[in-house]
Amino acid sequence: MAAPIARRWFLLARRVSLPPISLAGKRCLLSAAYVDSHKWEAREKEHCHLADLASLMDKTYERKLPVSSLTISRFVDNISSREEIDHAEYYLYKFRHSPNCWYLRDWTIHTWIRQCLKYGAQDKALYTLVNKVQYGIFPDNFTFNLLMDSFITKENYKDALSVVFEIMLQEAFEVPSTQLLSLYVLYHCLAKKTDFSWEEERNFGASLLLPGLKQKNSVGLSSQLYGYALLGKVELQRGLRAVYHNMPLLWQPGYLNRALQVMEKVASSPEDGKLCAEALDVLDRALKAVTAPACGSSEAQPQEEDSQGSEELVEQLDVEETEQSKLPQYLERFKDLHSKLEALGKVESESPLTLTIQLVKEQLPTFEAEDIATYEQKLQQWHLERVHLIQREQEQREKAKQEHEARRAAKASA
Amino acid sequence: MARKKLRPRLIAELARRVRALREQRERPRDSQRYALDYGTLTRPHSGRRLPARAWADVRRESSLLQLLSRLPLFGLGRLVTRKSWLWQHDEPCYWRLTRVRPDYTAQNLEHGKAWGILTFKGHTESEAREIAQVMHHDWRLVPKHEEAAFTAVTPAPPEDAQCRVPYPPLLRAMILAERRKSGDTSTEEPMLNLERTREHPWDYPAKQEAKKRAKAAAV
Repeated sequence: MAAPIARRWFLLARRVSLPPISLAGKRCLLSAAYVDSHKWEAREKEHCHLADLASLMDKTYERKLPVSSLTISRFVDNISSREEIDHAEYYLYKFRHSPNCWYLRDWTIHTWIRQCLKYGAQDKALYTLVNKVQYGIFPDNFTFNLLMDSFITKENYKDALSVVFEIMLQEAFEVPSTQLLSLYVLYHCLAKKTDFSWEEERNFGASLLLPGLKQKNSVGLSSQLYGYALLGKVELQRGLRAVYHNMPLLWQPGYLNRALQVMEKVASSPEDGKLCAEALDVLDRALKAVTAPACGSSEAQPQEEDSQGSEELVEQLDVEETEQSKLPQYLERFKDLHSKLEALGKVESESPLTLTIQLVKEQLPTFEAEDIATYEQKLQQWHLERVHLIQREQEQREKAKQEHEARRAAKASA
Repeated sequence: MARKKLRPRLIAELARRVRALREQRERPRDSQRYALDYGTLTRPHSGRRLPARAWADVRRESSLLQLLSRLPLFGLGRLVTRKSWLWQHDEPCYWRLTRVRPDYTAQNLEHGKAWGILTFKGHTESEAREIAQVMHHDWRLVPKHEEAAFTAVTPAPPEDAQCRVPYPPLLRAMILAERRKSGDTSTEEPMLNLERTREHPWDYPAKQEAKKRAKAAAV
């Protein structure tokens, strides 16, 4: 059952990937070589019976002894059907709530996501990823790329967006391929829908900001601007705590100020970076949205959230001017900088989505090659570690057996 | 009058050991001791309410392991600060995590212990030690892209040279007489050191190991 699915998957990926962006609707950003699971399937794995491992784990948990990470990794390696994925999810939950929870290995997490994709359980993979506190699933960049690509191929942008938000919460935007893929997903979703709740705006803002800081080109700068604009809007409408609580963002106020600083940097820097007109438009709308009903909303909100309002005052005691009072200055600065950027010709008229697609077409193949090389090295490393762990387990077992024999002999002779 | 020799009470000794073992086995875990009812702000284990000054913080901030349970490898190598330090001091104060041991009996893995290297007001310690007050709802995680800006320390202005002044004449005479009596033949002028002893501010994290030893010794 697994092999035909894998073959079908492989063929689909290969067929669609020849032009990386096919105009016929089926979008597939990563090439076949990336999504190819042959190297992973060809790895050496121990063939164990799942029922044996399950009973061993149950017995160990009953006796309140710790389960080793090797056992859970063997279990996840040997999954061969959809039902066994559910069993594995249960055992991952139990492992996370056992003394060895820190030792859940990278290769186990990678294998788990691969198995979920192989047996068509993407929603299960997403569920364990979103509830990472309970399951301990923290994939690395390669695995994130695979998962995102599977959602993009199926045009399931909602789930791909959840994956991007998870990457943002783990601050895993180190690798350029992840940055490009997530920016693509973000801009695609932003183009489709325009009105969001404040949590979505905050998540979008942070997810645009973090990869934007790493990319040193127009897309990066526009993403930074877009992110800061959204975060500034949430800051002024819901308060600073709403922005940084449980998010990888700083607690200093002034996100709109930082957006304007990005514009200043672009205006004054001699390099070629441009800012998208769409991002500037968003900043403009955000500034207008917070200035216009500022009188109305700031009266309505304290009535609902009185306690939080008083706590806001406590936090802002040291700040001389509040953000509200600085808004007219921000509007003026924005108008000046906007005209300056237009005069310098640093305003990009194309949408950020088209720019991202262009970047993806140009740069993704090189990044993919690097990623594949790192992945192969990692596979080797994981193999060595696994061998080392198996050796250690066998040595411990032999030592325990010898001690048991010695004790039995002592008892028999006594 | 000589005391009669006490006969060894073996069963009592055995009972004492069994009681100690049971106490060790059934000791309340961190997740039970530090569980909190957010509605009434009481700890169910002891039935006590939290101090009034902590109520606002408990509703707004999170405890350390609540932040770390969401991070890969429980946030090893990341920087964490306390909101009270951010409000109190201008210089950067943070812990860099080296070891985390979560309490696996907790539902959301939001209790446990952590160890790290402290940097308080710009001065870094040399060794890792246990992080104090982990269960307080006071902690914030420094985002990775802000770490460099956060840890940048503006060097303090240089202190003036060691201020040592000569002793007043009577004390000087007493010191010289003391020296002659003890046979010390050094001829250097006795100088009084006016440098301030560096005292830690009141919110410097205390050493957890010393506290534990004191508790064990008191019992």
